[in-house]
Amino acid sequence: MNSATHTTPLRTQAKFTGVSLTRVLPLILTVVLIFTYLTLPWVNQPGLGATTAGLLTAARANNEIGVMTNGLALVPLGALLAGLAGVWALVSPKSDRAAGLLAAVGGGFGLQSFVIAFSDAGAEGLDLAAAAGMGFWLSLILSALLIVQAFVPRPAGQTPLGKTFGNQEAVLGMALMLLVLLVGLANPRFVAERNLSDVLQGNAYIAVAAVGMALVIISGNIDISVGSLVGVLATISGSIAVAKAPDGTPALPVEGLIALAWIMPIFIGGLAGALNGFLVAYLKIPSIIVTLGMLSILQGGLIMVTKGNWIDKLPPGYALAQMRPLGIPMPIVFMVVMTIGGVLFLKYTPMGRSLYAVGGNKEAARLSGISERRVVMSAFIGNGMIVGVASILYATQLSVIQSTVPPNLELLIITAAVVGGISILGGTGSVFGAALAAILLNAIRSSMVFINVSPFWLQSVQGILVLLTVLADLLRRRRQL
Amino acid sequence: MSVLRSLLRSQEFVLIVIGVLAIGFLASRTDKLLTADNLLQQGRFLAEVGLLALPMTFIIITGGIDLSVGSIFGMCAILMGHAWFVWGFPLELAIIFALGIGTLGGFLNGLFIVWLRVPPLIMTLATLAIYRGVAQGVSEGRSVKNFPDWFAFIGNGNILGIPVQVWILLVAAILCGIVLSRTVFGRILYSIGSNELATRFSGLPVNRTQLLIYAFSGFMAGLAGYIFVARVTTTRSDMGMGFELDAIAAVVLGGTSIFGGKGSILGTMIGVILIQLLKNGLALNGVTGDATIVVIGAVLILAILINNFITGRE
Repeated sequence: MNSATHTTPLRTQAKFTGVSLTRVLPLILTVVLIFTYLTLPWVNQPGLGATTAGLLTAARANNEIGVMTNGLALVPLGALLAGLAGVWALVSPKSDRAAGLLAAVGGGFGLQSFVIAFSDAGAEGLDLAAAAGMGFWLSLILSALLIVQAFVPRPAGQTPLGKTFGNQEAVLGMALMLLVLLVGLANPRFVAERNLSDVLQGNAYIAVAAVGMALVIISGNIDISVGSLVGVLATISGSIAVAKAPDGTPALPVEGLIALAWIMPIFIGGLAGALNGFLVAYLKIPSIIVTLGMLSILQGGLIMVTKGNWIDKLPPGYALAQMRPLGIPMPIVFMVVMTIGGVLFLKYTPMGRSLYAVGGNKEAARLSGISERRVVMSAFIGNGMIVGVASILYATQLSVIQSTVPPNLELLIITAAVVGGISILGGTGSVFGAALAAILLNAIRSSMVFINVSPFWLQSVQGILVLLTVLADLLRRRRQL
Repeated sequence: MSVLRSLLRSQEFVLIVIGVLAIGFLASRTDKLLTADNLLQQGRFLAEVGLLALPMTFIIITGGIDLSVGSIFGMCAILMGHAWFVWGFPLELAIIFALGIGTLGGFLNGLFIVWLRVPPLIMTLATLAIYRGVAQGVSEGRSVKNFPDWFAFIGNGNILGIPVQVWILLVAAILCGIVLSRTVFGRILYSIGSNELATRFSGLPVNRTQLLIYAFSGFMAGLAGYIFVARVTTTRSDMGMGFELDAIAAVVLGGTSIFGGKGSILGTMIGVILIQLLKNGLALNGVTGDATIVVIGAVLILAILINNFITGRE
């Protein structure tokens, strides 16, 4: 055999090694489960508002043994077994993936039937169709997620579950869905369209700012002045928009003024970032100190200039955040565009990759010819400009511009970036999860109102979230060493 | 000439010179700055930040940082009022309870930093939010007032003509100064800041030391919170916000290197006094409180620049 021309193909997929009971059983259970489930009355009559208990009572009255057995025993039990089999398949690296994921789907149906039964026993007046629908879609999405994760190649020894939960975005997505489901069950007003759309958009400016923060954090620094910077830039933008010539008329034709009011914050944000970057990169002052000092300079400066007044009487056409290009709310457009832009920049441009290099190992980066000063400077300038974009979104959310920002806004932005997957230690991470994290944070804040938890505890919850994420990140790093 | 040069290398000396110049300038514009009454009153005000700055010196010398002191301050203030007013503790017990909570908060910081190796910056940034959240969650925006008369003594009383909290600060500063410069514990702090790994390999108790200083920081934050509440005789959930900035600025201004390994209590105390007199001088000259915040921020950055310049860092 000529070994120079013949190479053994690398096996990356698990090899099917024959039929055994442990492989077949989950499949059988799942098929039975799905079949019985689909023949049950409430799946066929979703909109009638009939409750499980009501149906079962009616069935008992009519001696429909079949319905009773299905509803009370077969479906829940079978779902439980299938779910357990699915969980086992997920945590064991040796099992057959197809059986495992199908069993997981079955478990998903079980989850939904549990949800329905629980909601029947609990809240009164809860729309059964809504609960059933939510549960169904949840189990479908969960199963889809697990299917995808199961078929992505993974290193030997890692379980499908490990692959799923090692993926920050998937965890965030599942956490978000779970939160919406649980809070929606407790208080259906939470899932009203108006509230959900607020939750989705409300923190869009934070998601945008988190992309900028990611640049700084990946390069190994931190910026705790962004909150005050947002306030300052928003005020600058508003001041330009309402600027008047000495005789009282608007200084420029209104359209030109508005474009200027949108561009100036980005420019000035870049300047502020350049100042930070200069102090950190060229004068070698630790970024925590520079941005700590800058925080108070900006904060004091803002109050000095605005004297606590809000800016109102903003011109029409200025409110960027309230526009809807192609029917999609502008904040969401910004959030998506900036996130995708950030991901592409970090992954595929030389400057983006240099950020990772400098944050990961400064000395190695220097020896590779990367100028740390230039990279850190660029990170801060980029952050400043992106904060400018975020501040326009923030400024135009309402019809006035307040003289303050939400307290500890910088902490919120850092939380969104860190929980979204940027490692606070620098050198790794992806911005993709930052948008999800921003939405999750808003969902948590909103849900606290709907389930009567005092919103005063919100900051503690955010702090704990950051801590947990950092701990998980540290654990992950330790294990890799 | 070499005497002058070695003096110039001492940040404390440079600080005193700059301080005298700045204070002199401000005092020349108003005749209220350098009166005994005013100075004693300023002493009252600076005691809280001063108490925070003492353990902060220890922490920064070891190369760490504690951003949560302001939040522990607020949390202890709120819990003290809450324990007395809502849970019915006798006030003495409530005070001790608050001090205990402060120590516990600092201890938790230290625990995660030492045991789980969370970088101090991140840990204290997270607890800044967590502890502030506890203060807000427990108080729910409400204040506790109407403390008994004896309670305000520590905040508003005088012993031999000097405010009580100034005495406390003085005693604490002297003790901390002795510990830092004359005990093994102090030398361990410098050692950790210079080279933590070498310190570990030398068999010195690095973990225990770090736990102690973070717990101490929490305790002092609780004590400062207690004095503050006694001074203003009310509790609010936003107390202590921004105090970490003042404390860190004072420590860094006083010559402690932010990278660790260098520093002194004397420098920190000079820094604390200087910042307070600066704030006071500006206020008496008609500058508003917000501008003062701007100045302190600028002072912080300038302090590091001066420090870098003096020690000849690149």
